[in-house]
Amino acid sequence: MNNLTELNSKTARRSGFRRRPGEVVFDVVNVIMFTLFMLLCVFPFYYLFINTISDNDLVVKGAITYYPIGINFSNYIALKEVSDLGNAFIVTITRTIVGTALMVVASALAGYLVTKKKLWKRSFWYRYIVITMYFNAGLIPWYMNMLMLGLTNNFMAYIIPGIVAPFNIILVKTYIESIPEELEESAFIDGASTFTIFRKIIWPLSKPILATIAIFGAVGNWNSFQDSLILMKGAPHLFTLQHRLYVYLVKVSDLETVMAGGAGTTMVLENTLNSKVVKYTIAMATIIPILLVYPFMQKHFTKGIMLGAIKG
Amino acid sequence: MNKTAIQPKGLNIAKELNTSKPSTILHGILRICSLILCLSMFFPGLNPARISNLINRNISLFTTGLSFSDLTTKFNAMFRQGAVDKSTFVLLSAASVVIIVGTVLCGIGGCMSLGNNRMKSRGIWFPIVGSLIASGGLVGIYRSYLQLQASRGAKRAQVVFPSVFYLYIGLLGLILLVSLIILLTERRLEKEDKMEMPEKYSLFLMLLPIIVLAFIFLYLPLYGWRYSFFDYKAGGTLSRENFVGFKWFTILFRNPATVRDIVRVLRNTLVMSGLGILTSWVPMAFAILLNEIRSNRFKRLVQTVTTIPNFISWVLVYAIALAIFSTEGFLNSFLELFNANQNTNWLMNSDHMWTKMLLWGMWKSLGWSAIVYIAAIAGIDQELYEAAKIDGAGRFQRVWHITVPGLMPTYLVLLLLTIAGALSNGLEQYLMFQNANNKDVIEVLDLYVYNIGIDGGRIPLSTVIGMSKSLISITLLLFANRLSKFVRGEGII
Repeated sequence: MNNLTELNSKTARRSGFRRRPGEVVFDVVNVIMFTLFMLLCVFPFYYLFINTISDNDLVVKGAITYYPIGINFSNYIALKEVSDLGNAFIVTITRTIVGTALMVVASALAGYLVTKKKLWKRSFWYRYIVITMYFNAGLIPWYMNMLMLGLTNNFMAYIIPGIVAPFNIILVKTYIESIPEELEESAFIDGASTFTIFRKIIWPLSKPILATIAIFGAVGNWNSFQDSLILMKGAPHLFTLQHRLYVYLVKVSDLETVMAGGAGTTMVLENTLNSKVVKYTIAMATIIPILLVYPFMQKHFTKGIMLGAIKG
Repeated sequence: MNKTAIQPKGLNIAKELNTSKPSTILHGILRICSLILCLSMFFPGLNPARISNLINRNISLFTTGLSFSDLTTKFNAMFRQGAVDKSTFVLLSAASVVIIVGTVLCGIGGCMSLGNNRMKSRGIWFPIVGSLIASGGLVGIYRSYLQLQASRGAKRAQVVFPSVFYLYIGLLGLILLVSLIILLTERRLEKEDKMEMPEKYSLFLMLLPIIVLAFIFLYLPLYGWRYSFFDYKAGGTLSRENFVGFKWFTILFRNPATVRDIVRVLRNTLVMSGLGILTSWVPMAFAILLNEIRSNRFKRLVQTVTTIPNFISWVLVYAIALAIFSTEGFLNSFLELFNANQNTNWLMNSDHMWTKMLLWGMWKSLGWSAIVYIAAIAGIDQELYEAAKIDGAGRFQRVWHITVPGLMPTYLVLLLLTIAGALSNGLEQYLMFQNANNKDVIEVLDLYVYNIGIDGGRIPLSTVIGMSKSLISITLLLFANRLSKFVRGEGII
């Protein structure tokens, strides 16, 4: 009888009648813990969101806590009056699309080429690319280099350095190595050139990994902040969205410190465009695109991280 | 005997390849010169068209040719007053375009010299024509230099003769000379019917742009380490006068104020990394506990939801922090329920900063870091669990004796990588959360380098610090790799 239930463990698990009291307590605590952590992850976004769609007078007082009151979307419409924000959106969207596309094409091509045994000094060039992942000249030399190349206050600074992504090249290379060589060989015998093979065979077959690196690249570009902060000091019209948001956030928090305790604090904040609500709305407008692509990403990121773990 | 046996064979090969050693060397020189020429087009420091100090230091020959407005930003007033003739700059810009065209031709010739003999003999005309055209461009630049010097506004325009000009003359001359020698000496080589290139070289040429980009953006920054040996001020130049040797390195140890800063910053860095290492098991525990949940749908939900924060930048995390912890934020509204609202701005509070930073880091990345372990759990052989069950092992025993050991290799690799990266906590998180109150406890090495280098303009000192950090990090990594090889038999890199 006992053995039977053992063998039939699946049904046993479902009905759960083999669980001892201690296990039940553990399971319940476990579920509660994860639920709480999920709440912790989601609530801030929810809180931010309800504050952007509620009545602004209440928001400024901090009265919106659990649910929105007086729902309206006027804050999102008012964003177009925030100076420079439109520019920031255009810059960020352009760099996300162009930068990601170039990075994916370059990674695919490079990843494919380093699998070709006939490539002149193949293993040397492969190592040449891999090694760069393990050393880093540092922030300042990188900045001086960009300065020397004339890539400060220049939109190209967002695009060109991002084309070569060693880690992604390795991911693609690992993936292409798993494609049966016979496919390539038969195409070669049929007279296809290297480039045709790449375009007609390798590219379509490695779409899963290319989608993975494209999505990660796009999120990285969308979230980019450091390069804008350091390289675009003299060109505010080239600030990325995150940089723009940073400026708004930090400016106002400075303002808050200066005026801490002063009676007129809320008044001042209400009357400037950099008020709390606008900050929240910009933040939310920056988060929403990520949340929108998130379902598509999810399918890919386990693959990405696992391939990353077996790199080499 | 042996010699004679080998020699004819060698001769045969030479005949087959139809090349001789000197020509290989000459072609090599040609390729290297063309490559340098092509690259220097994009380096503002190597711009032969910078005939005036008023021309932006940051524009390269390429920009000079393609963007007239960038070239003349500071001259518009002089054009209007007639102090400088606009045609001078038109000539300059046109000459740059001519040089670019010539350079491109030389580049094509360099590529074609990798082909078979037929391709080589055709290709040799490209560098000849290209270098002649580019020389014509140089003459144009020289003309506009003379014109500018003769103009009324010569003084205001700060005319200088770019020393890179000589480099260009040298390079172009060398290319012309070498390709003429090749042209004259190798006419008698027998030619193939088709222009072809050995596959190994055509593949290489396809990879070449990526190699070049990797060199420029990933290797060339190392050259910036030279700033640590100079007394460099932002906007200045490096020269023999401001070479100071190891001055900045000694300042790092001798100057009391700097030493105090370094000690404080290192303390913050190591404490925060240490906390990270101490809690490095948490994602593993997260994965194991999640695996114990029976409902697959709930599991997937948890995974989906807890990974979201990982894809939000630190700027947005800070915006969220502001929403929750500022004076009118959520926390204070929440505390009001218990009448405990003190209207504090929690972000300005610098108590327990290290723990707070750890918690923010964890909030952002816990779900994400757990994915590796979740995947690793899925890879553990299910038969082990069945066998343990039959042997009478309980649920917790199975976890302890099968799951945990099964995850150990993954954990060790990640732990070693964390230890190797102990000095790099990243910049963005601390940059966002830093303010006047908490600077003492939040400033980590990366932030310190940013603060003194980019904000404070102390380039040499921050280069020294960043350089030391890089060297220590790579040593740690190699050491961790060695350790891993010793313990597990395989490396981590």
